[in-house]
Amino acid sequence: MSELVQFSLGGRMKPKGNIQCVGIIGCGSVGQVVTRIAAQYGMDVTFLDVSDERIKNILVDIEEQLDGVIAHWGITSSEKKLIMSRIKGTTQFEDLKNCDLVIETISSRQKGTLLSLRQELFEKVEAVVREDCIISSDLSTLIISDLARVLKHPERAIGIHFIEPIDKTNIVEVVKGRDTSDEIYEKVNRFVSMINKKAILINESPGNISTRILVPLINEACEILMEGVASVSDIDETMKETTGYIYGPFEIADKIGLDKVLKYMDNLYMEYGDKKYKASPIIKRLVRANFLGLQTNKGFYNYKGNGKPIGNTISCAIIN
Amino acid sequence: MKIIVLNCGSSSIKYELFDMPSKEVLAIGLVEKIGLKGSAIKHKRGNDAEVKIEGEILDHNQGIEYLLGVLISKEYGSLRSLEEINAVGHRVVHGAEEFSGSVLIDDKVIDALEKSSELAPLHNPPNLKGIYAMKLLLPEVPQVGVFDTAFHQSMPEHVYLYGIPYILYEKYKVRRYGFHGTSHKYVSKRACELLNLNYKKQRIISCHLGNGASITAIKDGKSYDTSMGMTPTEGLIMGTRTGDIDPGALLFIAEKEKTSISYTRTLINKFSGMLGISGVSSDMRYIEDAANDGNHRAKVALEMYAYHVKKYIGSYAAALGGVDVLVFTGGIGENDTETRNNVLKGLEFLGIKTNLKNLNVRGKEIVLSTEDSTVKVIVVPTKEELMIAEDTYEIVK
Repeated sequence: MSELVQFSLGGRMKPKGNIQCVGIIGCGSVGQVVTRIAAQYGMDVTFLDVSDERIKNILVDIEEQLDGVIAHWGITSSEKKLIMSRIKGTTQFEDLKNCDLVIETISSRQKGTLLSLRQELFEKVEAVVREDCIISSDLSTLIISDLARVLKHPERAIGIHFIEPIDKTNIVEVVKGRDTSDEIYEKVNRFVSMINKKAILINESPGNISTRILVPLINEACEILMEGVASVSDIDETMKETTGYIYGPFEIADKIGLDKVLKYMDNLYMEYGDKKYKASPIIKRLVRANFLGLQTNKGFYNYKGNGKPIGNTISCAIIN
Repeated sequence: MKIIVLNCGSSSIKYELFDMPSKEVLAIGLVEKIGLKGSAIKHKRGNDAEVKIEGEILDHNQGIEYLLGVLISKEYGSLRSLEEINAVGHRVVHGAEEFSGSVLIDDKVIDALEKSSELAPLHNPPNLKGIYAMKLLLPEVPQVGVFDTAFHQSMPEHVYLYGIPYILYEKYKVRRYGFHGTSHKYVSKRACELLNLNYKKQRIISCHLGNGASITAIKDGKSYDTSMGMTPTEGLIMGTRTGDIDPGALLFIAEKEKTSISYTRTLINKFSGMLGISGVSSDMRYIEDAANDGNHRAKVALEMYAYHVKKYIGSYAAALGGVDVLVFTGGIGENDTETRNNVLKGLEFLGIKTNLKNLNVRGKEIVLSTEDSTVKVIVVPTKEELMIAEDTYEIVK
């Protein structure tokens, strides 16, 4: 059996600049969805996480997510096999060396912006990848230039913010930093269209567009709730009907995770000092009670495993 | 004149190199699993044995580059250099209302094709990729587009319109287009040649039965009606596509299952048809095996398949005011004698008399009807690639 390469016509048709291999650092909820989607659209994905056991669990989680898609007729089981064959997990940075694009998606549930941790990851990635590899972070309240400054080639750094629910949201915020080159932006733009989404180019600013508008919206909804004006589900329904949003402010907060929402609020308040970003006491109270939303099956709503809300947990700031 | 014919799918490229007008096949092959694991080229030169050459093929451009490389290679090649290629013929699935015949591809045509991609989002983009790649690799060589829909552009207005607000036709060109046109045209013409009939004066029903399947009513050499519609999902039940279904049922399913548009598209194109009913496979051979083992769903699926074909034959006989020739082609039409016979059973009232001796012949040109049958029934293996080469030759010479 001979190899195809020997029949190449001097490589004059070799595809240039397309992202073929994606690296994901930290495969939590966001990382898993991005891994799955990139693999679904034909790219090889290597995700890096802390232990072999976690890797095993992540692969099981992704398989389960795909089974859910199959159950709703989204893909066939042979497509699932194909997708899974493109995904590899590792604990070694070295395994990211062939990636065309590395996206850091470490858990943003911890306090603060994790700037130094993320900078450290950026340095480790740059030490192993090729010169033309794009290094990126899924950031919402952080600034990409702050991460880029630890790189030898800061022009390769770019922010890519995947917005929840990632499967359903057709846009991705692409954040150009001070040094990000146009070439890198073009490549990322192509990557975003390869995964069937549209890139919204924004100039760096904490909160981008989506988080910056969502945070005061959720806060205002909490105000209305605290004043006893209306119930959680009625507020959500009103907003959905009047704006055409897919989710109301409480539903979306539950989906994002209230711990994460609280962190966004704290970070934006720190940055801008404006009280419209200051976390509502309700959010704080729910987070303390470990009512974190969908992930704990309790947030503003109760959930029974299938992600469908059943009954409000809270009215007039009193947890029932 | 050396003509290469390309049929670019989403992850594969079928190719055939012809010497025209002698119609000699110099090489034939398949680039498979483009952009996927296990990509390879299966190539066969003239009468040599087939070879499989493995290696990474990232996209259509690279696939075409390699296949051209193989064609001029010492080991497997049929050409001394690429300069020997005089023309490229492309199978293009959707030509919308723009194209009622094959055309020389120029920038204007490419523009129109890009626009019609909206009507065939699964099929036209890969066809275009083949065109772009060839333009880059062989910029001086003329390229010809042969459309699956072109033959059906002769359908009259009352046949191709759907019963929806007319403005939707005006705005988006929502209407019946039909597919497999190249195949229907070839087999119906060839049938008349074999039967010594005047093609321009027959009422022909042509059944292209493969994994995708369609039936066409042909009147005086022109397509009059066809079972596939705006997309290849309408008409007969197929390997994994629904065929005809009440649009209200689809809405009901989408509401109950909370499926998005893209999921519903997968549901009706990939989970349905023979696979959906039988639960066994989309491949007739497996379904027949299961039915023989007593699998009820497999049995029903086979009954549905034959019934749907029969129903269309009946309705097209009515539409044409009778039928002179019934043609079978496609993988199932050519080889699956059981299904073919089930379709023919009970059609005697149309004037069909079958010749028992020939009923179980597979895979070749054969007349299934008796000498005194009013309706001639015939099997003609389809040769879409040859048709594309012929059209290309006619345009380029």
